[in-house]
Amino acid sequence: MKAINNIASAKTADSRSMSPAVDVRDVWKWYTSSFRFRRTITPTANLRPALKGISFSIPRGGIVGLLGPNGAGKTTLLKILSTLIEVDKGSVLVLGRDVTTDPVHIRGHIGLVTSDERSFYWRLTGRQNLKFFATLYGLPAKHAKDRIAMLLETLGLTEAADRPYYGYSTGMRQKLAIGRGLLSSPELVFYDEPTRSLDPLSAHNIRQWILNNVQQFPNTTHFIATNQLHEAEQLCDRVIILNRGEVITDGSISDIRKEFEKREHVIHRITCRGFSPDGIRWPSADSGLIDIQELPAADSNAVVLHVRTTNDGGALSAVLDTVLRSGGKVLRCETDVVPLDEIFRSLVTADTREKKS
Amino acid sequence: MRLAWAFFCRDAAIALSYRIAFVVQLLGNLLLVGILYYLSRTVGVEKVPSLERYGGNLMAFLLIGVALTDCVLVSLVGFAQQVRESQTTGTLEATLMSPVRLTVILIYSSFWNYFLSAVRFLMYLLAGVAIGGLRIDTVNPLSGLTIFILTVLSFMGIGILWAAVVLLVKRGEALMSMMTVLVFLVSGVLFPVNLLPGWMQWFSNLIPLTAALEGMRLAIMKNATLFELGSIVLQLTGFAVLLPTLGILGFNYAVRIGRRQGSLTQY
Repeated sequence: MKAINNIASAKTADSRSMSPAVDVRDVWKWYTSSFRFRRTITPTANLRPALKGISFSIPRGGIVGLLGPNGAGKTTLLKILSTLIEVDKGSVLVLGRDVTTDPVHIRGHIGLVTSDERSFYWRLTGRQNLKFFATLYGLPAKHAKDRIAMLLETLGLTEAADRPYYGYSTGMRQKLAIGRGLLSSPELVFYDEPTRSLDPLSAHNIRQWILNNVQQFPNTTHFIATNQLHEAEQLCDRVIILNRGEVITDGSISDIRKEFEKREHVIHRITCRGFSPDGIRWPSADSGLIDIQELPAADSNAVVLHVRTTNDGGALSAVLDTVLRSGGKVLRCETDVVPLDEIFRSLVTADTREKKS
Repeated sequence: MRLAWAFFCRDAAIALSYRIAFVVQLLGNLLLVGILYYLSRTVGVEKVPSLERYGGNLMAFLLIGVALTDCVLVSLVGFAQQVRESQTTGTLEATLMSPVRLTVILIYSSFWNYFLSAVRFLMYLLAGVAIGGLRIDTVNPLSGLTIFILTVLSFMGIGILWAAVVLLVKRGEALMSMMTVLVFLVSGVLFPVNLLPGWMQWFSNLIPLTAALEGMRLAIMKNATLFELGSIVLQLTGFAVLLPTLGILGFNYAVRIGRRQGSLTQY
């Protein structure tokens, strides 16, 4: 019987190690806006949904971004995943375990990096802070000492390690927060706006550090909630965009961009010579061409065409073909990459408008 | 044990980093001893008749009352203060992220305060011996230690229960101050309970501090053995089992509610 139990528990452990890093199924979370005392007595008074039935799954390894405007539910979701808040409906599995029934175990295997610099003991040194949290995470003394030294070294904090935390700059505090989040070598790390209020250089260093960490430990999953869209673009393999408590987009940035361009438009700039657009018969709208404008060119012999097309690729080759058949010579053809900011703005605005209507 | 030690070291390092405050607090305790000394001299009699039961020494009576009350205050106010402080300083969320239960964190966070309280207790006793006429041969250390531990455990329960209230309603200082004064009034910190009207004496029996003070005074001023203090020890043991259990259950319930409402780290 014992042997069978062992096999069963080994199978469970194995299936857990193969399970997604995060598996969220139809999760709802309501907050009440009534006073605290009243909400203790009548918890259902004035309920306001923060998350409305969201579902997604994140496989192990890589970096996933969580984007959304303020109040979209990013922090609530992050707190649910890191077991600080309970869900009201739905199921959340983190590393194969239920956040409601197994929070203590989960906490031993995840890390949380917040941008709240108050979350350290200001009168203690950086090293003392990390040592305390290492003991909380149950790291053996010797291992903790080595791990802390290694983290301080890679984060560039060795020199400041024995100075009180209150003397740290914002960048150093954020680095220490990352160090704390990675103390227990977690399988899954949550970041809540890790570069908020950092100068561009410090923010770049931290992003670079995360990327290096991913290369070094490819099985660790990083889940980053951020409002810095260029950060998401630089770091994330995949982004989940939340708006008003719902997932409105989920996919790789290139897929989201392609989808957006398919729905919206792509802008190409064609520089050509020996060609005049006057009287040219351009391809029809069926080809995917939206419009063409002539832009002023630096070279008086050249013509710059501003071409808006849909994203199926047919219109651009038809336009180029027209230019060539009219005796023109194509010097350069550039396609604008739609910034993630624009895609984000467009998606969120359209979703908000739809929900309001 | 290593975890408890980590909390102790953390709190010691923080407290000792505020050197002036630390020294001023100790000086304050010494000044209190001076006040009690002159208060007992004002009464001017060597043996106060109403204190005959404890040997009649007013200075020793007052010192033990103040010393034990100090320790009770650590329990009553300390836990709630820890919760409130960690909410406002933002460290609660960071500790909540560890695989250690919040109740354990709360109890370990009190160790430094209890250590200081025990040091102050000894300091008051030494002052009693030095200038208050307290005699070492009337002290029963085993009885004194037993009463001390049972008192700490009993009030730890009330303190944890109060911390649960603070976790949910955030502010509770005013109500706590009122309750503390009420407890001091009826449990005989500065005067014997038998001077109170009958209905108040009945009420005072419901408060663990009354039995604790009676037991501690008899143990230190009258060399009472554990056998002689049987009923008091039994009563305190009951409180020491019941109150911490209630405290931990209440606190766990509050944590659950806080997690559900998402209000644990709000302040």
